[in-house]
Amino acid sequence: MSDRLSQRIESVAELLVHALELEHQSAECYRQLAQALAVHHNHAAAALFGLLADMSDARASAVMARAEGVSLPEIAPWDFKWPAAGSPQIDCDHVEISYLMTPLQALEVCLDKETLGREFYVLVASESPAAGVRVLAAEMAEERRERVELILTWIRGERGVATRVPEDLDPPNLPG
Amino acid sequence: MDAASVIPTLRAKDYKSDVVPVWCPGCGHFGVLSAVTKALAYLKLPKERVALISGIGCSARLPAYVGAYGFHGVHGRALPLAAGLKAARPDLTVLVAGGDGDGFSIGGNHFLHACRRNMDMAYIVMDNEVYGMTKGQASPTTRPDWAKSKLTPHGTGIRPFQPAAIALAAGASFIARGYSGDPGGLTRLISEAIEHPGFGFLHVLSPCRTFRPEQSDWKHQVHRSDKGPTDDPAEAAHSIQADDGMTLGLLYARRLPVWQPDNRATATTADLEGAFVV
Repeated sequence: MSDRLSQRIESVAELLVHALELEHQSAECYRQLAQALAVHHNHAAAALFGLLADMSDARASAVMARAEGVSLPEIAPWDFKWPAAGSPQIDCDHVEISYLMTPLQALEVCLDKETLGREFYVLVASESPAAGVRVLAAEMAEERRERVELILTWIRGERGVATRVPEDLDPPNLPG
Repeated sequence: MDAASVIPTLRAKDYKSDVVPVWCPGCGHFGVLSAVTKALAYLKLPKERVALISGIGCSARLPAYVGAYGFHGVHGRALPLAAGLKAARPDLTVLVAGGDGDGFSIGGNHFLHACRRNMDMAYIVMDNEVYGMTKGQASPTTRPDWAKSKLTPHGTGIRPFQPAAIALAAGASFIARGYSGDPGGLTRLISEAIEHPGFGFLHVLSPCRTFRPEQSDWKHQVHRSDKGPTDDPAEAAHSIQADDGMTLGLLYARRLPVWQPDNRATATTADLEGAFVV
């Protein structure tokens, strides 16, 4: 399903729309995961996704501020120039998500998503034909790198504590 | 001035309701919910002009999570409910949501006739090949050797229902297949199903994280069609029969007469009351 970035991002406005979509979608994705895990009484993992959702909201606000005065193009949901089928961060394919996931597993999911987001900006920074786009994408990639580093720090901390596997209050009725 | 021209542009999240989904974390239906709201936002449909109708099942909870009109009906009867609504209110955009059990077993008969009736609505079937809400029994689309249910410990031994082929045979005018892990592609197909004049049938592969965890492999199995949609039923029949069931995209689309009853009143309320006087 995944394919190489088929079209290059050629303007700052286009990059800003992609960045906004990425942050909005990641905030929505993290919040959705937080809510779903809270519904299933996994409050530890839910809290982590909630925190990441807030961080993505803050990033979206920062991108909005950057886009002030810029005329942003409207892009159909299927016309975004992501390197893969879905946006780098949401993909809506949460196959690795489980209601029994530990905080460490939740952080690893976040790390994957944030890394994919960073890789998107790195790709744009290296492949866009417009110098202004390359510069802005490189800045955004650096900001993403900081977030990736932060999550890596949390992961190292989490590995140092005993694993807290949530109790399954209502296990699937499957034969052993 | 048209009503649509005075409403502000809404984003996908504006089409979500305040109800928190109770689907299992990782459920494919989250992707469908996201794609539905993105499609509504893309088409700039006013929320009060959209109605989502469903039957029973995990997928049938979708109307509760969308901030448009919704009706959570009884098992298998989403399509007749939607047909009644569309007959009475042709001005509404009607979407029907359900799963493989609701749509192809309990509501299988309605599915056939909805295809041939060709009313202007979109039918989204979230297929995970299992009855998830009732804790994991085989559904019409379950493969015969799936032996992970206590009710069918040796598998069903029954060949699965073929949604696209049966829709075509029943006279559907729009047949597409999407995947919940392909948000852009799925949003596009939902938009096209809504815009199609007639019955837009969209078969969505939507993994069940809890009872069918092996479906996580679907993301490696799905693939896009290497050819565009056809409007030739014979050609469509050939390609659908030869398909592995994992081809994504618009498979068949044809302009066929749309059935919409004439709503002109033929009698007054007083006339009707008079007819019932004993």
